[in-house]
Amino acid sequence: MKRRDFLTGLAVGGAVLPWTARSLGARPASPAQAPQLAAVEGESPALITREAVAALGGMKRFIGRGDKVLIKPNIGWDRTPELAGCTNPEVVRALVELAQEAGAKSVTVIDNSTNQAKRCYVRSGILDAVKATGASMPYVDETRVKKTDLKGEWLKEWDVLLDVLEADKIINVPIAKHHSLCRLTMGMKNWLGALGGARNQLHQNLDRAMVDLAAYFKPTLTVLDAYRILVRNGPQGGRPSDTKLVKTVVAGTDAVAVDAMGASFFDVRPQELLYLKLAQDRGLGTMEWEKLRLEKRKI
Amino acid sequence: MKKEKSRKYRTLQILRIAVQTAFFGLFLYLFIGAHYTGRDYIDSTVQRFFHFDPLLALVTLVSARILYASFLFALITVVATVVFGRFFCGWVCPLGAVHQFFSFVFKKAKALRPTREERTSLAGKYFILIAVLAAALLGLDLAGYLDPFSFLTRSFAVAVFPGLAYALSSLKGAFYGVGLTSAGRSISQLLENWTLNETFLQGFAVGLFFLGAVALNARKERFWCRYLCPTGALLGLLARRNVVKLTIDGEKCIKCGLCSQHCETQAEPYPSEKWRSGECVYCQTCAAICPTGAISFPLKLAAAKTADASNVNLSRRKVLLTTFLGFAAVPFFRLTPAHKRASLKLLRPPGALPEPKFLAKCVKCGQCMRACPTNGLQPALAEAGPEGIYTPMLVPKIGYCEYYCSLCTQVCPTGALRKLTIEEKNQVKLGTAWVNKSRCIPYVLGKPCIVCEEHCPVSPKAIRLVEVETKLPDGRIVTQKAPVINIEACIGCGICENKCPVSDDPAIFVTSVGETRSEKNRLLLEVAGDTSSDPYK
Repeated sequence: MKRRDFLTGLAVGGAVLPWTARSLGARPASPAQAPQLAAVEGESPALITREAVAALGGMKRFIGRGDKVLIKPNIGWDRTPELAGCTNPEVVRALVELAQEAGAKSVTVIDNSTNQAKRCYVRSGILDAVKATGASMPYVDETRVKKTDLKGEWLKEWDVLLDVLEADKIINVPIAKHHSLCRLTMGMKNWLGALGGARNQLHQNLDRAMVDLAAYFKPTLTVLDAYRILVRNGPQGGRPSDTKLVKTVVAGTDAVAVDAMGASFFDVRPQELLYLKLAQDRGLGTMEWEKLRLEKRKI
Repeated sequence: MKKEKSRKYRTLQILRIAVQTAFFGLFLYLFIGAHYTGRDYIDSTVQRFFHFDPLLALVTLVSARILYASFLFALITVVATVVFGRFFCGWVCPLGAVHQFFSFVFKKAKALRPTREERTSLAGKYFILIAVLAAALLGLDLAGYLDPFSFLTRSFAVAVFPGLAYALSSLKGAFYGVGLTSAGRSISQLLENWTLNETFLQGFAVGLFFLGAVALNARKERFWCRYLCPTGALLGLLARRNVVKLTIDGEKCIKCGLCSQHCETQAEPYPSEKWRSGECVYCQTCAAICPTGAISFPLKLAAAKTADASNVNLSRRKVLLTTFLGFAAVPFFRLTPAHKRASLKLLRPPGALPEPKFLAKCVKCGQCMRACPTNGLQPALAEAGPEGIYTPMLVPKIGYCEYYCSLCTQVCPTGALRKLTIEEKNQVKLGTAWVNKSRCIPYVLGKPCIVCEEHCPVSPKAIRLVEVETKLPDGRIVTQKAPVINIEACIGCGICENKCPVSDDPAIFVTSVGETRSEKNRLLLEVAGDTSSDPYK
């Protein structure tokens, strides 16, 4: 076989296979025309989270029976929910429950916090929210990491938390916040909390590090908490006046598109964010989120 | 005549051991409880033990010239000791319990059995007490170095528990190594849940002192209590004419001498006329082991005249000499530049009184260091001058001051750190951050960073970013965002220094200048105290 034939075959096969799979109904929970992106606005963070996942075809589309699920919120700071420094606890709780209802064997919630871990876990309200579901929420053990080949373009290897590596499925649940270096921190930036080691050195080439991490982690689902977003003094804020109520949750399978849509809440065009452009160039997704199959609801 | 041990005193001895264990357990419980439990304020008052300590009460009152209301509890100890004797030492003191336990262990271990020779003078602790009180008159607080509560708490906070945490970490690693992951995880969760800090500047010395104090029990039972403890000495002086008097039934006594041989504190039960009322800690050992049950402790209101005579003889000459030494030592503690100029790296915890008052009140117990969630509070060595040894200071390279935390101020037993609410604490400035532009990544290497800015907890941030041009070695000029300090907003918490990626000598660092508590260490004459004018509105 000539190289050209081989490549053509690959391309054709690649284009046909997903359609075949869908038309054969291999995954009944995932209809062919299921939305790739869902944005739900409403008063209750828990309800809009559930609705957004439902709009994508339900959690069963993503989580199978017996899966070890890892949910990665942003619990970086010793901040209470009204300061929008960490992911909304109700959003996290809704996702944990959805994963449990979908038949997950275990659900673990973890983040490598910046302030004292216990203060972040407790005061973000996430520890209580998760405890109520029976899922586990361990503090990060800096020694339970593995130097991992990230196959990145810039970031070759780094310590990754074993709790994250051991999971079958990962759900990324960031909060949308202002950040002085990458401008906005959402899903792709959230992966820094899945790492150990001297993460603060990644700031020397943050956009590229974020893209390499996003390419490595590949979440099953990204759920962006934009219920209350942080519009200044990010990424931890400090006053309620630093926040803005958007009352929206964006869920999607395209991590780049989720972040791109998130940028619109800050009136930032996706093209202005270097990491989105780099991610799109790497083929991680599209920042033209309007062109995806989008489901917008208000409840 | 019946030859039988007293069952009553055997029971009392067991009761004493139970009570000692209970108080030690309570102490441990309160000690461990001094951490972030999930609530902003600690209910269990870990400092309560200290408030019953008359030595700390007296020295703090005299040296700082302030009556701290909590120390009124010490009056209970004083009255109880005057009436009933040194029960406090034998039944309550947790350090006494430690020493008694190890005395017992060493006694059982043949190789380490303490000697029974009882010729050593017991006067040492009284002279230590006199020197401490004399120094206190001149405002120098030395009580904390040998006070049993301070000594034990400091040893536990700075050495024993950190050592334990280190051991647990190692065990955790071993568990992971052999695949016992869940056991390893339990340990790692415990270490985080209880905030067992592992890093202390003086951990080595404090730990060795503690080991030394324990090892001395192999030389003499309860060595510390006999020869060193100034609190025991104070209680001993108060107890001399108490009403619980050792009595030996002359008819039953077979003069075997077991009682004096086994006395924990060299109180010389036999003959009873020579019994030292100021040394006995009522451990009940002599009465319990007496083969004929001849010893009892009845209440006798009439003070036996002989009792005082048999107590430790403190000659007037020696008392005067020690007092003089106590006075004379004070100036030597003060020959330090710390009194001329604030020390660069001496960042006191929030709520700390102005330095002279702080030094007069701090008893160096290290409870603030135990409670600190980031391990940032460390015992000073030379930073605060000789009288500041073991006083707390924030070392941002090790840990920073957590913005919404005021635990250290809540657990301070003497008020050297004023109790603060979270809101009050947020107003306190510990010092001021400075950027070392010759080490800062954007300034000198022309690479992006902003780590200090993102960690700055105040809003609006005390670290602002400005665009600066940097000339690289190849001559290119690059523009980067670089930090500048907004001095009025900076609270000196040190998180910027702690998180700076230039790890060996951070490119941003906090010094004490501008600290709220000091008028002398001021930086700007007109500090706009309130940031009511919100720049974003």
